Amino acid sequence: MIGLILRRLVQIPFVLLVVYTMTFTLAWLIPGNPLENAEGRRPPEEITQAMLEQYKLDSYWGFYWDYLGKATGASWVLGQHDRPFDLGPSLKHENWTVNEILLAGLPVSITLGLTAILLACAIGITAGAIGGMRPGTWADYLTLLIALIGISLPTFVIGTALLVAFSVTLKLFPIGGWGGFSHLVMPAITLSLPYAAYIARLTRFGMIDQLESDYVRTARAKGVSEMRVVLRHALKNAFLPVLSYLGPAAAMALTGSFVVEKVFAVPGIGTHFVDAVLSKDLTLIMGVVLTYATMLILFNLIVDVMYRWVDPRIELG
Amino acid sequence: MRLLAPFALLVIVLAAVVWLDDTPTEADLVFVNQNEVFTLDPQRMSYLQDLRLAHALYEGLVRWDNYDFSILPAAAEMPAISDDDLTLRFRLRPETRWSSGDPVTAHDFVYSWRRAILPDTAADYSNLFFVIAGAEDFFRWRTQQTAAFVADPWSDPDAPEARTVRAAIARLNRLLEATNLPEAIAPPSDDDLPAIRAELDRLLEAAETGGPSLAIELASAARTRAWLQSLDDPACRAAEAHWMWRRAKQRFHETVGLTALDDRTLEVRLRQPTAYFLDLLCFGVFHPVHRPTVEGWPIDHLNPPSGGRGGGWHAIEPPPFEQRRWISLSPATGKLEQKHEWAKPGRHVGNGPYLLAEWRYKRDLRLEKNPLYHDAGRVRSDSILARTIEDTNTAVLAFESGQVNWLADVSAEYQSDMIAQRRAYELRYADELEALRLAGLTEDEALASLPPPQSGERRNIHVFPTFGTDFFSFNCRNMLSDGRPNPFAIAAVRRAFTLTVDKQTIVDHVTQLSEPVITTLIPPGSIPGYDSPKGLPHDPDRGRRELAAAGWEDRDGDGLVEDTDGKPFPVIDLCYTTNTPRYKWIALELKAQWERELGVRVELRGSETKFFKEDLKQGKFMIARGNWYGDYGDPTTFLDLCRTSDGNNDRAYSSEYVDGLLEEAEQERDRGRRLALLEECERFLFQEEVPMLPLCQLVQVYMYEPGRVTGLSDHPRLTQFLWQMEVRKP
Repeated sequence: MIGLILRRLVQIPFVLLVVYTMTFTLAWLIPGNPLENAEGRRPPEEITQAMLEQYKLDSYWGFYWDYLGKATGASWVLGQHDRPFDLGPSLKHENWTVNEILLAGLPVSITLGLTAILLACAIGITAGAIGGMRPGTWADYLTLLIALIGISLPTFVIGTALLVAFSVTLKLFPIGGWGGFSHLVMPAITLSLPYAAYIARLTRFGMIDQLESDYVRTARAKGVSEMRVVLRHALKNAFLPVLSYLGPAAAMALTGSFVVEKVFAVPGIGTHFVDAVLSKDLTLIMGVVLTYATMLILFNLIVDVMYRWVDPRIELG
Repeated sequence: MRLLAPFALLVIVLAAVVWLDDTPTEADLVFVNQNEVFTLDPQRMSYLQDLRLAHALYEGLVRWDNYDFSILPAAAEMPAISDDDLTLRFRLRPETRWSSGDPVTAHDFVYSWRRAILPDTAADYSNLFFVIAGAEDFFRWRTQQTAAFVADPWSDPDAPEARTVRAAIARLNRLLEATNLPEAIAPPSDDDLPAIRAELDRLLEAAETGGPSLAIELASAARTRAWLQSLDDPACRAAEAHWMWRRAKQRFHETVGLTALDDRTLEVRLRQPTAYFLDLLCFGVFHPVHRPTVEGWPIDHLNPPSGGRGGGWHAIEPPPFEQRRWISLSPATGKLEQKHEWAKPGRHVGNGPYLLAEWRYKRDLRLEKNPLYHDAGRVRSDSILARTIEDTNTAVLAFESGQVNWLADVSAEYQSDMIAQRRAYELRYADELEALRLAGLTEDEALASLPPPQSGERRNIHVFPTFGTDFFSFNCRNMLSDGRPNPFAIAAVRRAFTLTVDKQTIVDHVTQLSEPVITTLIPPGSIPGYDSPKGLPHDPDRGRRELAAAGWEDRDGDGLVEDTDGKPFPVIDLCYTTNTPRYKWIALELKAQWERELGVRVELRGSETKFFKEDLKQGKFMIARGNWYGDYGDPTTFLDLCRTSDGNNDRAYSSEYVDGLLEEAEQERDRGRRLALLEECERFLFQEEVPMLPLCQLVQVYMYEPGRVTGLSDHPRLTQFLWQMEVRKP
């Protein structure tokens, strides 16, 4: 177990270097000049040139090494730079450093993403368990129908509908912004629905499978109460496929919350990521991608560890 | 049950995080920015939402009256202007203070404008400062000075061009001529000098002729290489950068027409009489910054000396560069490197009516009244919150739910429906409105005094024409980018395509915003004393005649036009951007109109803004969308676009007559004659030449409750002063 964790941690820098190089090359190839006002005028040629030089945007390798040195802290160790792990100033929003932007946005995205996943688990497992216990009944069909809707309706439709209903008409929740539970409720529900739907289906099939298995029949024969059979025995095993889904799901909820963040004006990093690419804000693109990559690796590691913890028979390479 | 533990832990952590995050604060006025503010550094601003804040956080020498765009005194009294209109003398108000307590002095303006002119700052709007005597020369001089410092023909194997060798020669000459050079820098000794000169001359020759001989010459230029390497020592480079910067400062004060005669008096000398100079000064990029703040001087350096004394920071010796937090001299480039992290709450210092109280990235920015502002009585709201909501639909919902007082940029797809609701409301009360207007009420007051709208009506959406024009550019180059001859190089063809466009249909049924259609470039009524001439009308018959006169007629009866050789008109490459659906719709309508009226074939090509701009720069289009917003209150802010040498002349349009008129107007000191020259220029451009097809005046759509939100101006230049705005309690 310790060996597994250590091995994974040692891999991180290498994976990140590959991610850095590939992302940087792709981002560099986006046409246009990030320092230019996208709409309207172009400053005189000399000024454009001066801008590019100022941010080392006139040379691919110059930027590549300079940024790598500053981001890893190597420049700091060598005494060429005044701070370690500096992801640079945002090229578009120059009053902000990428570090500040990430520090402000990451907790928001993580809170939103994890709350959504927790909600998805709560809703999905409950619905799936109910459906799986009585397959073919109206309760089962109802949960399947809701799951189908949850998967197929795009989040911006659900989000906008919630906004109109609960914010504009009922005035229960504020629109946009962040801070406190009232801002969290609607975005988290919206973000959780597709995951909840998927988890519900996974749980349902898991339950049906487990409830027909021999050990459940044995338990029932021994006179264990139905409640205990379902919760203690069947659900535990039906949960395993859900658990392996949770790793990628959590990663997706954190990184793919772009639409939800946009609709609810949540200041997370999902929107920064897309905007950065659109405006070719190189430093911000690199900062967000490296952060996401690190998070993805860590999440997968956590899920692997949890998997083994739940079911010690599983061998992990 | 071991499964539940991590989940429970997660719930607790999440709850704690949410509790700890502070809730948004209330404010007297809440408005929405669709885009996050890009910078609060006035010299680097170029976006509308940034410039709006410039008027809140800083104050220039003079300011506009934003209802009629006359000039009023601000940080200074109205200037004394010399008889030749070349020298302006500003007297600063004695009571103006920075929010740190320092007095605002003439040195602040000299410093801030020098900052804007320096190529090191790379300000978008540097060239607006070029009307000041010597500013443009200084800009170029400093650009060359630093370029010569960087250029090193040996550092980059692909680089050795004539430019870098010439830069090395320039650097050699500069060091030889220099007096009081720092000790760390040694120009070549007298023994080496002739050899180095000879080597450089050979290199230059080799570089200019090109070919492989340069590499050979490079390898043999041993002495030059040794000397340049001796200059590459870090200590030596740092010393040279400092020495260069001292020379630059000295040169700036000797050659640029900006002088602080004393703490309160600023003298500005202009390159030539500039009618719109005072109007320029109202623009945000001319607002001052507080030097100790933007350079990050250590606190103990400022206190106590500059706090109480009259001279401000100018009265004390600046700290050495190593102690300044946000500015440094790069030994690699020889340039000043500035960080912009000073523009944060707690650090920011301004001289405007508001202080920066809070700024959270892509959340909100909070302004609070500046107690030290000299005219605090003018400031209507004590606190203002600018929220960032990027999704335009969400912004409208936030407004509808009453959490926001003013939306400054509505672009929802259903906005035309909302505008139709406004028209329905106006229609029902047409007589009452007319009577109220006649009684001298403003539009907002009149609307506010009417009964509230019923369902299906609204009065809180407002469409304002702006200081901008939407147009389509014709490529005026003789050849297209693929080498084919360009039919639009002929003015008659451009006229034909302009005459056949039914603009009213486009604004009524395509954009559905009923923008005022326009036949020239400058929005009517936006510049006091200037009236645009009439451009080309909508006249498809004349359009067809013009096209026939240019040699394009339907000769074989297939409904398409051909030239005298029977070759059909090339398929027109019509380019637009896809960031909003607007231009796709307009382009589709233009295609339909031209194909119907002129017998040509049009192909649409939509691309993302960055790709589009790239195509535009390289001339890869026949007709392309474009727009332009004016910067200052003078026709040249638009007409310069048609100058041969202008950097934004995407059309590559060139006319000696137009260039001559603009040149002549530049020299003309009589305002009436000058405007007449510009009028003739615009007439010639849009009656005869039409390098672009002017479509309509751009509009801005606001949402606010009339009567509740006050202080907004509807002048076409559409500049809003936040300090003038107020929300009346119902």
